[in-house]
Amino acid sequence: MTETTTQDTDRSETAGASSDSQTRSQPGAGTESTPETWTDYEFEGEPKMAVSGLDVYYGDDQALDDISIEIPEKSVTALIGPSGCGKSTFLRCLNRMNDRIRGANVDGTVTFEGKNIYQEALDLVELRKRVGMVFQAPNPFPKSIRDNVAYGPRKHGKVRTDFLAKLTGRDDSEREDEIVERSLKQAALWDEVKDRLDDNALGLSGGQQQRLCIARCLAVDPEVILMDEPASALDPIATAKIEDLIEDLAEDYTVVIVTHNMQQAARISDQTAVFLTGGELVEYGDTDQVFEDPQSQRVEDYITGKFG
Amino acid sequence: MSYPTDSALVVDDTGTAERLASGVVGLGLVTFVFSLLGLTQIVTEETAILGVGLYDFLAVGLLLMGVATVGLGVGSRVGVFNTTPDATPGAVTAALFGLGGFVVAGLLASQLLGFGTLGWLAVASLIGGVTFVGVALAPEDIGSTLPPGLAAIVVGLLIVGGILTPAFAWEPEGFSATLTGSMAIPLALSVTSLVTMWAGAKAYEGYGSTGRQTAAYLLVGINAVAIIAVLVGLLLFIASKGVGPAFQGFSLVPFEWPFVTNGYSFRPEVINGVFPAIVGTIWLVIGAVITGVPIAVAAAVFLTEYAEQGRFVGAVEIATNGLWSTPSVVYGLFGYAFLVPRLGGSTSLLTGMLVLGFMLLPLCLITSREAIKAVPDEYRDASAALGVSQWETIKSVVLPAAMPGILTGVILGVGRIAGETAPILLVMAGGLRDDAPNVLGSFEFTSAPPFVANDALLQSAPALPYQLYATITAGVSAENATEFGWATAFILLLVVLSFYAIGIFSRLYFRRRLNS
Ligand SMILES: Nc1ncnc2c1ncn2[C@@H]1O[C@H](COP(=O)(O)OP(=O)(O)OP(=O)(O)O)[C@@H](O)[C@H]1O
Ligand SMILES: [Mg+2]
Repeated sequence: MTETTTQDTDRSETAGASSDSQTRSQPGAGTESTPETWTDYEFEGEPKMAVSGLDVYYGDDQALDDISIEIPEKSVTALIGPSGCGKSTFLRCLNRMNDRIRGANVDGTVTFEGKNIYQEALDLVELRKRVGMVFQAPNPFPKSIRDNVAYGPRKHGKVRTDFLAKLTGRDDSEREDEIVERSLKQAALWDEVKDRLDDNALGLSGGQQQRLCIARCLAVDPEVILMDEPASALDPIATAKIEDLIEDLAEDYTVVIVTHNMQQAARISDQTAVFLTGGELVEYGDTDQVFEDPQSQRVEDYITGKFG
Repeated sequence: MSYPTDSALVVDDTGTAERLASGVVGLGLVTFVFSLLGLTQIVTEETAILGVGLYDFLAVGLLLMGVATVGLGVGSRVGVFNTTPDATPGAVTAALFGLGGFVVAGLLASQLLGFGTLGWLAVASLIGGVTFVGVALAPEDIGSTLPPGLAAIVVGLLIVGGILTPAFAWEPEGFSATLTGSMAIPLALSVTSLVTMWAGAKAYEGYGSTGRQTAAYLLVGINAVAIIAVLVGLLLFIASKGVGPAFQGFSLVPFEWPFVTNGYSFRPEVINGVFPAIVGTIWLVIGAVITGVPIAVAAAVFLTEYAEQGRFVGAVEIATNGLWSTPSVVYGLFGYAFLVPRLGGSTSLLTGMLVLGFMLLPLCLITSREAIKAVPDEYRDASAALGVSQWETIKSVVLPAAMPGILTGVILGVGRIAGETAPILLVMAGGLRDDAPNVLGSFEFTSAPPFVANDALLQSAPALPYQLYATITAGVSAENATEFGWATAFILLLVVLSFYAIGIFSRLYFRRRLNS
């Protein structure tokens, strides 16, 4: 009875403050203490992206609870966790795609090369050019395969193939062809579609569409690539190709990938972040260490399949 | 070793029932078609087949249908036919049949038996009520066959027995209209044959859910075909009246089609034509599309993609719907009072274009909005995630995907405005003329603002629908005014249909681009 009263007063006092300050200001308040987390991960160099104190709400529902994480450059970071724990939500915070969801509310800071991307003056278009994304469900445009892949470069003015460009002799068709071919090859789709680049992309199979979306993202040449379960609709052979691709990409790019496949995460990632239900980041660290010797009992249970 | 067949125990008469039911449906279709023809006066009571009056012929058929339908129901109940009826035909059927019983009994009592108001009301209520309760309580096979069957028998008997004759006339008090026998007979025939067919279709499938489905398909199918038939009939009717005068003096080699290529010269030796009006109508539509569609699409983009979905958008939506349902003559009045004084002071092609453009606006806005809303958000997200600005996204992803829907609106709108008469009457009225408005040739550059001038746009021009109205109704002096009018109507139809064709082909083109 007394406990409830205290909590009520606490709430009214801290009204307006974000929930993390509430829990932090009174460690061990009540019997339900905040579960322990292991998210300190030491690495060399500056982080490409850093997140601190990130809360995300959809309306009144909290999807992410006080997430802090630093993502090293030119590496693969895997996000794993049970369905609905907020992995996609987290990923969308990194290129501010959550802005597009009505009712979504983001609190906290996310930096890209040290600059806060949630500041007023940020150029969203520029940010998303540099932080690309492959969605959980394939979403090609109802255009030809070539137009899909070349969409980004064309819109960014990197290649010009319009009528005016042809007229003035500044036609970049060859360069565009190169980009299309390179991107499709990287996404392991080239051999299947090279003879029908002008066919509509909606005529491809689900897995092919997903690889096309990867190619479309690569064509823009982003620095960070966010991938939301890019291999969930692919057969083992295409999956293996995509995994190879991701490992290759990590030489020049920073890759953040959501996956439900533990083996995949263990195979391709350099560091792994484990989210658990309720939108908390429970453990983050070197992939080998997280999988072989997890600090948290809950993470161990999740990884060994005792708890989903 | 073979099983002994005991045919005496297994009464497998499904074949008979199906044959009987198909007979009912087939006869019903024939009766229905002829009674519709009778309603449109294409056939009349004087039409005879093999010396027997057509209606007597159909009535005998209806009588047979009625008997067969009753037989089908009773046969199913006593177990002669293999059927799977439900426990009851359902409340809706019961209510409709009850209503039918009320109407039939009321008409019989008041018209044939001469009951007073109180009398026929009592009889009608009694019969209607009994039918309702009876059908609601009866098993499905009896409930859905007996009432139509009996009605068919009654109507058949009335006609065969010479009680309901073409001479029959019903003049309801307080109405100035008269329902004559030559209308009443086909009307009664069509309604009863339709309902009996429905029962026959049910019986054909042995009732139950398959029976209801087949019966429903039959009704829906007949409905669709009847509507198409009405349309085709309308077209044929206009064509039959208009083709003759429209093709007067027509020859293919050398190509001559005076009605379409000539103006109205008021000289007796040349064939008068509607060329100026065709050109006027085409310019009107082009002008209206140019003024209306871009504004509509731009507004739709703003309302759907940019504006906060709130009170403002809601208000605009209501205003748009209101504008769409505004009578066209009100648009015309607005043009007359507002535009005409400001644009040269006289009725002109330009004011016509603007007013029709305003009329096009709301429909195109509504359909464009729906089309843009229907573009999946995934496309927008995908484009945004590639670092493409919102406007570029709208231009290269959203609008192309919405194009077929937008065009549908334009097609519908053009169909409406191309035949619009009332506003034209007020803001553009041009009478019968010899020369067509020469819009392209009249552009002139001037040294003072606005630097271009176009006399043709500022003069009144003829248009097909208005000319049609003028020649047929208003008695504008024209030789053979009626024939000229029908031919004009026929040409107007062709012009509108060609606009449709253009619209539909361009929509097909954009759909192809999205899907293949
Ligand atoms: N657009 C949205 N509106 C409201 N709630 C949402 C929305 N998107 C996600 N959520 C909620 O946020 C929580 C996290 O969702 P999220 O999609 O991030 O999960 P996830 O970890 O990606 O799951 P999965 O593995 O199934 O993809 C869920 O409870 C979900 O219901
Ligand atoms: Mg997800």
